[in-house]
Amino acid sequence: MTEAAPIVFVVDDDPSVRRAIKRLIGSVGLQVELLESAPEFLQAKHSDVPSCLVLDIRLPGISGLDFQRELAQANIHIPIIFVTAHGDIPMTVRAMKAGAVEFLTKPFRDQDLLDAVHVALERDRTRRQEDAELASLRKRLESLTPREREVLPLVVSGLPNKQIAAEIGTSEPTVKVHRSQLMRKMGANSLAKLVRLAEKIGIPGNTP
Amino acid sequence: MIPASTPITGSYDYSEVARSVFIAVAASYVALDLAGRVAVASGRARLAWWIGGSAAMGIGIWEMHLKGMLALHLPVPQEYHWPTLLAALLIAALASGVALYVSCLHKMGPVKAFTGCVTMGGGIAGLHYTCMAAMRLPAVTRFSPALVALSILLAILFSLIALLMAFGLRGETRWSVPRRLGSALVMGAAISAMHYTGMAAARFFPAPPPDLSQALSISPLANNGIAIVTFMVILTAIATSSVDRRAGVEIQRINRELERRVAERTLQLEAANQSLRNEILERERAEEDLRQSKDRLRLVIDTLPALVWSKLPDGSADFLNQRFREYTGLSEEQGLAWGWMRNAFHPEDRAEDEWRAAFATGEPFEKEARLRRVDGVYRWFLLRAAPLRDDQGHVVKWYGTTTDIEDRKRAEEALLEVQGKLAHVNRTQAMGELAAAIAHEVNQPLTAIVTNANFSLRQLKGATPLNLDELQAAIAEIVNDGTRASAVISRIRGLLMKETPRTAQLDVNEVVREVIALLRNELTRHRIHLRTELAASLPRMRGDPVQLQQVLINLIMNSVEAIRASTELKRKLSIRSVANADGILIQIQDSGPGVAPEQADRIFEPFFTTKPDGIGMGLSISRSIVESHGGRLWAVAGSSGALFEFTLPAED
Repeated sequence: MTEAAPIVFVVDDDPSVRRAIKRLIGSVGLQVELLESAPEFLQAKHSDVPSCLVLDIRLPGISGLDFQRELAQANIHIPIIFVTAHGDIPMTVRAMKAGAVEFLTKPFRDQDLLDAVHVALERDRTRRQEDAELASLRKRLESLTPREREVLPLVVSGLPNKQIAAEIGTSEPTVKVHRSQLMRKMGANSLAKLVRLAEKIGIPGNTP
Repeated sequence: MIPASTPITGSYDYSEVARSVFIAVAASYVALDLAGRVAVASGRARLAWWIGGSAAMGIGIWEMHLKGMLALHLPVPQEYHWPTLLAALLIAALASGVALYVSCLHKMGPVKAFTGCVTMGGGIAGLHYTCMAAMRLPAVTRFSPALVALSILLAILFSLIALLMAFGLRGETRWSVPRRLGSALVMGAAISAMHYTGMAAARFFPAPPPDLSQALSISPLANNGIAIVTFMVILTAIATSSVDRRAGVEIQRINRELERRVAERTLQLEAANQSLRNEILERERAEEDLRQSKDRLRLVIDTLPALVWSKLPDGSADFLNQRFREYTGLSEEQGLAWGWMRNAFHPEDRAEDEWRAAFATGEPFEKEARLRRVDGVYRWFLLRAAPLRDDQGHVVKWYGTTTDIEDRKRAEEALLEVQGKLAHVNRTQAMGELAAAIAHEVNQPLTAIVTNANFSLRQLKGATPLNLDELQAAIAEIVNDGTRASAVISRIRGLLMKETPRTAQLDVNEVVREVIALLRNELTRHRIHLRTELAASLPRMRGDPVQLQQVLINLIMNSVEAIRASTELKRKLSIRSVANADGILIQIQDSGPGVAPEQADRIFEPFFTTKPDGIGMGLSISRSIVESHGGRLWAVAGSSGALFEFTLPAED
């Protein structure tokens, strides 16, 4: 994916730490955005590029863990790497359960942070890809006629054309036409592929 | 010659008759008077009075008759046979004796009166006719029987009257003498009447001269002589009687006086007696009250829900109430003297010297000790003792109670434990927060340093494209952050040391004592035996007492924690203060594991700690404080527990 350079957001109340982290991460060719507090991150412009968040748990105003929850509620799915000076096990467990990529204790090893950043960016990249696929699939679904959309779940359920015709009250040749049309529109060259795609957008396979 | 058939007529010499009557009256008076004497006398005196009285009265009556006969003048010579006259006198005396005897009886019944008057009357009649018989004259005496009988009857009658009169007049009254005189007149007249009746009964007829042997003629001279003798006898009797009466009256007066006094004295004695009796009653009642109140007190003391005792000035018991004996199961002998301590206290509390010392002070005191119950269970008791003093202020006795405080003690211990735990929780929490703050504060620069250093290393290794400006900036930041970390630590230290020192002149021993008082519970809770040796005279110094307390608390708490961690059986902490060349030296030594030689200096570094939950600031801060006071603090490495010493300069 060369189309966009990923961005690493760093939120820490200590400017010295922020600068050092930027220097380290920047040295591996990644773009780093420094932020002083959580609200500042929310206000920042988020371009549609793979990104991750390096977050200090102890922040002025709000704790890193609470901020993690706020982001999830706001449907912002950015991978988070926690760093803290004084972490304990319950804190770690809570963070990891909520989907944190890594939990590092200050001062951390440089490689640990870089590895975590790479994992996080990869995870974000994958997520973005999946999101994009799903979006195009939805578009294709929307291009179907109402009749084709009616036929789709029945096809995915594996019913023969004759039975589908009986089900929707039409002739077998008509069903055949609908079927080939929707296969083409959905971009599926086989029934197996169509079933997979349908699953992704949540169309139930079996007869209700 | 006068013919025998013709009676000889005589004539009476009336002056003689009057004299005879007078003598009769006098004799009667004597008789009455002496009857009174006899009546009041007793024993030999009564006998003497009786005999004397009988004689005087007998002589009087006899003389009256003699006189009466001599008063009759006959024309023939008259002579008297003197033995017969003497016999008549005897009869008169005997009759008088009988009369006196009868009249002096305590009671006179009719029989006695009759016997008395017949005897007396018979006697007088006998006397009269015996006297007549003593006459010797040349004539024959013929008696007229009627007149003789009349004379005898009169004699008896008059005797009766005389006896009754004498009986009635026995007592001495104011009117005794006149009444006696009156009676004497009556009696004298009666006796004379009888005599002259008897004389009238006799008629004399001429006869040949009689035998004149032993007869004599009574001349007028003799007649008067006899009368005078008689009269003198009577007078003597009256005089004697009078003197005796006076004496009797005096004696009676004295007697009465004596009796009055005796009565008075008796009354007084009785009054005294009565008051004595009352007093005895009162005293008995008081004693009874006292006994009852003693019983009541004893009952109260024995049933009080407390162990009550009294002890001698040295502390040996002389009384233990029933509850004490029942509770401990000790008998009276086992508990008395020092048995109350030796036989009932927990072995660890049997410190006889301490108890003796407490009693020796003479001041009220309280002490706690464990007392064994009869079933062998030990419970904590509080002994309270108060002295009773005499006028000079010496202790005469100790009184006191022993009260069960086990429950209170348990509650106190539980409270202490809870407090201790709470304090520990607080401390741990505070430590945790402090540690987190420190970690964050110090970790930020450290993180920056490490990160920048790593970046620099990467640059130098050539792992990333070299950017000299960035490299320089990173290294500069490393230096800055290092300085910053150091500043953070200084700031924290300053925070822990609180305010700027406030110096005052102080006695270090006093500071030590205050700290010990603060930590006493902590030491007790961990069963640590504290030993203090504070120098008697330390030089004074200037310093901040609160900061010095903090140093001592840090050192002592370190020791407490070391002792707690140690398995050593002896749990000892000793605090010494001595004056030395530098001023004052304080030593704190414990029985914990001690300080390893290689750590003896490191332990004073900030954040160095050997304790799992320590932050490593206590000793560092303590050293700073001591040094700010111009002293030094160090640890002496050794195998037998930790020894911390610090000096403080004396004030110039």
